[in-house]
Amino acid sequence: MTTSGAGRVHGWVAHLRAGGTTPWRAWTGDAEPVTRTVPGAQQLELLRRINSAADIPVPTALADRVLAAPAAGRGKADLPLVGGPASSFGPRPVDPSLVGPHELLRVASVLLADDLVELGPDPVRATWARPWRRRYRLVGDPVVTVAAREHLRGRGRPEGGPRPFVVAVGAPLDVLLAHTWTQRCFENGSKPWGDWLRYWRERDQLPARVDLLDSVRRWDARSPLVRVVTDLDRLPRQVGVRHLPEVRVPGADQAELARRVAAVVGLRVPAAERPALMRTLQRRIPDTGVAPVAVPPAEHAWVAASAARLTRHLSRAGYPVVGDLADLAPHAAPAAATGPDDQQVLDLAIAMVVDPAWRTRRTAGHTTEGQVER
Amino acid sequence: MSRRVLLHVGCPKTGTSYLQDVLLRNQSVLREHGILYPAERFDEHFLAALDLMTLPWGGIETEAVGVWDSLAAQVREWHGTSIISHEIFARATPTQVERALASLGDAEVHLVLSVRDLVRQVPAEWQENVKHRSHITYERFLRTIRDPERDSRIGSWFWAVQEIPDILERWGSSLPPEHVHLVTVPPPGSDRGELWRRFSRTFGLDDLPLDLTAERENPSLGVPETALLRTVNERVTSIIAPPDYRPLVRETLAHQTLSRGVASARLGLPPDDHAWARRLSREWIDVLAERGYDVAGSLDDLLGPDAGTFIDPDAVGADELLPPALDAISALLVEAARLRAVEERLHEELREAREERDRARRTTTYRVKRKVVTTLEGSPAGRGTLDAYRRLRGRKA
Repeated sequence: MTTSGAGRVHGWVAHLRAGGTTPWRAWTGDAEPVTRTVPGAQQLELLRRINSAADIPVPTALADRVLAAPAAGRGKADLPLVGGPASSFGPRPVDPSLVGPHELLRVASVLLADDLVELGPDPVRATWARPWRRRYRLVGDPVVTVAAREHLRGRGRPEGGPRPFVVAVGAPLDVLLAHTWTQRCFENGSKPWGDWLRYWRERDQLPARVDLLDSVRRWDARSPLVRVVTDLDRLPRQVGVRHLPEVRVPGADQAELARRVAAVVGLRVPAAERPALMRTLQRRIPDTGVAPVAVPPAEHAWVAASAARLTRHLSRAGYPVVGDLADLAPHAAPAAATGPDDQQVLDLAIAMVVDPAWRTRRTAGHTTEGQVER
Repeated sequence: MSRRVLLHVGCPKTGTSYLQDVLLRNQSVLREHGILYPAERFDEHFLAALDLMTLPWGGIETEAVGVWDSLAAQVREWHGTSIISHEIFARATPTQVERALASLGDAEVHLVLSVRDLVRQVPAEWQENVKHRSHITYERFLRTIRDPERDSRIGSWFWAVQEIPDILERWGSSLPPEHVHLVTVPPPGSDRGELWRRFSRTFGLDDLPLDLTAERENPSLGVPETALLRTVNERVTSIIAPPDYRPLVRETLAHQTLSRGVASARLGLPPDDHAWARRLSREWIDVLAERGYDVAGSLDDLLGPDAGTFIDPDAVGADELLPPALDAISALLVEAARLRAVEERLHEELREAREERDRARRTTTYRVKRKVVTTLEGSPAGRGTLDAYRRLRGRKA
């Protein structure tokens, strides 16, 4: 490695550590090296964008964390800067402003995963179980069931108990698929949305939580103790309450960011602790108004055929239905965005790095007097 | 306090699996001679590498939490020589290298890099890709790694773990050259024990009473077998998840079945790519010679063998694919039968457990109690009564 350009690189690093936003191409100042190794273009450009997004100067400690964070996964190694110290070996130098959002996200997801691990899981709200509660077990739409289960547990109506009603929560199959992938992102992570759909389409199978018939049978429930619910307005009565809170379905950018963060969290904490941390992220992740993922047109035929088959099987099984099984048919809006956009995901990630409010605020589910943490 | 650490960071496909297996199986003998190989399982140092480099790896990474720090702590506490070895450490970035070296404390670090000529490494890396779910054709693979942009996932990974001068710059730039040891893989046709002798000399294992039986290797595949596996991947990669792919395809098919085709033609490089690999290797040899590292073997080994007859794996016909395909079907059927036997045994155990439970329930008292509970469970008042009874009984107990 020669020293040509080294002063300029170290100058830019110092500029960025001090909150600077000048792009590498426009940078001219020199500085003495502070560290032996120079971070990659991914880390440097991410820090520049974080500085640009911040209203107040970014603390040096945070800047140093960004510069030291690895890019997660088997992508490109740390990239040298074009015009920096030249080596005959290693990856080609790049202009950092041209590094794509996908690469920057590899670094940002590590920062957010470390923040999440440091934050720890939110305490789960629970209170003493009401003896007269209706016994139920929720299966099906995971976005709805996870939220409902958590709410009911906080109201003294935990899931389970002897001879419970198995309540299978349905939805149009395209929505059910989207919800299932989204919730997986906030539990243990998943493949990318498109790959995940293709996996199931090529197997011509439905994921466990989408296949309502299989979900019910897994609990070995007899027909009188089963309810297939397609009308969500009538779900509260099936679990013994008058109301359930409205469910917030994460947007495509939130789910994709969670998917990436989950992969890193898997390397930071034991497997059993990851879902609670990811649920914490689900409660706290800032809203951006981006629509949830939707099934792309190429998969519509398979989804429609699968919905028809599922409806047939549920009809034959003869389980009581709350609503109408015809509501399981997909009803994709043709104009809906189908998958996450990397730039939107990066914008969200940067906003979360810059503004720690999502980590510092108390959530609605925090423990209150008379309740216990479990 | 460890006095010396031998840090073996690569490269893949240079006999590392055999070395690591010998080290693991001979841990107690090594300890008696003051050498620590800290591992409780074969892939412990692989997990440490995933942890150090924040590398998700098809779900295995969940077993890697904290493994690098634990490994480094054991090394710091050891009074003698410690060995750390895994080939994917070669991919570490300068920041990760700095962290790794810092975590080893004040021990004298010796870097070991086992290396093999590009003429054999390029086809071997394609095979490794195919054994790791890829269905990229050989022609496209060659084009990908020769693209100077190294933009693709395959290209960037290949050079990160195979570009010897770059790996040594990243890992060895803070070490004196005499603490950097290159172990070259001998040329084809050499004595089978020669590579081990080079490893043994470098790691200071000469004269130790080690069990050198080859229990675990990473065998290579012939041309038709690799072509078949690639074709299979085209069908299954998108529908078989990594935790299923590893035992069924990589272990059962590739390692235990298709690698037995020892009579099959071995894969080489097309003439143009052979000339390119030779040219590049010669440049590397010159650079490495100037740096003055310790070399076990000869840098000339890196030049690679002369071009042989090239058999294109992308053009293997159906008649050549048929024999390994039949072997594959046969192996999978045997594996399916084995799994059916396991399933049957589990069903049998479950049936026995249920029968035992039912026998316990056949008493009149149990039947009466059951009837009462079932009746009470049918109404909120009954459920409340039952719950109160259970709480009371629980308190008395």
